[in-house]
Amino acid sequence: MSSRTDAEWCTELGGAAPDAALADLRGLLLRGLQFALVSYRVTENDLEDFVQDGLLKILHELSSYRGDARFTTWAHKVCVRVALTELRRRRWRDVSLDDLIVANEMSDFTPDVLMDHSADPGQTAPVQMMMATIQRIIAEELTERQRTAMMAVMQGGMPLQEVAERMGTNRNALYKLLHDARQRLQKRMMQGDDTPRTARNV
Amino acid sequence: MKIHNLFRQFWRRKPHPSPDVSSASMHQMHVALSMVAQTQAQELSCDEVYALLDIFADRVKRGEDAAALMPLVHQHLAMCPDCREEFEALLRAMEAK
Repeated sequence: MSSRTDAEWCTELGGAAPDAALADLRGLLLRGLQFALVSYRVTENDLEDFVQDGLLKILHELSSYRGDARFTTWAHKVCVRVALTELRRRRWRDVSLDDLIVANEMSDFTPDVLMDHSADPGQTAPVQMMMATIQRIIAEELTERQRTAMMAVMQGGMPLQEVAERMGTNRNALYKLLHDARQRLQKRMMQGDDTPRTARNV
Repeated sequence: MKIHNLFRQFWRRKPHPSPDVSSASMHQMHVALSMVAQTQAQELSCDEVYALLDIFADRVKRGEDAAALMPLVHQHLAMCPDCREEFEALLRAMEAK
């Protein structure tokens, strides 16, 4: 079954009689997804649906397979993307960005340790100092959209896919937004200048 | 102490420090700061990584040093939880017989 070469998979699936290859690929993807999603809450029906949608996408995108990776790896990749996209959608369906902000007190990055009075002051003091500076840098350097995205992804744990949808953008653009935010924070932090911008500008 | 010294000191710490200062949010902050520290001027987009993910996974499975061979993909996987989740799931799928 899986003794087909990459070229044979493509030829058979794109040919006039793809049924045998389709059946074999379906079995292979199903076993793969069962293994891949073992820690997720999915039913057998879910897996069947994901594989069915994955197969359709594979056939649709067959011409984009260049042979740089094994065909089965490429097919698994397509199917995994289909499944995880749907699972993320389900998992976060009822969560808004506002919910996330409230749940995570997203107005700041204050970790629990700073609220723990039993913690060693020798260890918390530098953290406290750093947190105050980071909060100020975040407030000064990032746009509202960057702050929202960063908090939702890094603190709220919401997938980029879902944050992007709620912010009216796509995953690529959201990654770029976060990349720009990280670059700004990195630049400011590595400057070694923790003077508030407003004070410096006076 | 200058902020960059604190920053460097912080991200050099182990993700799980002593029990006194260990907490989920502490770990979260450590991860966030590590991500800021590892930020590169040029990074691949999610679509670019998706196009290369199967090649990267094949190299991992062959025991090659995929991170060294494809550093930009490796770097993106460290930054992007969605792509990382897909990569890890892909590796598991490839294990199935």
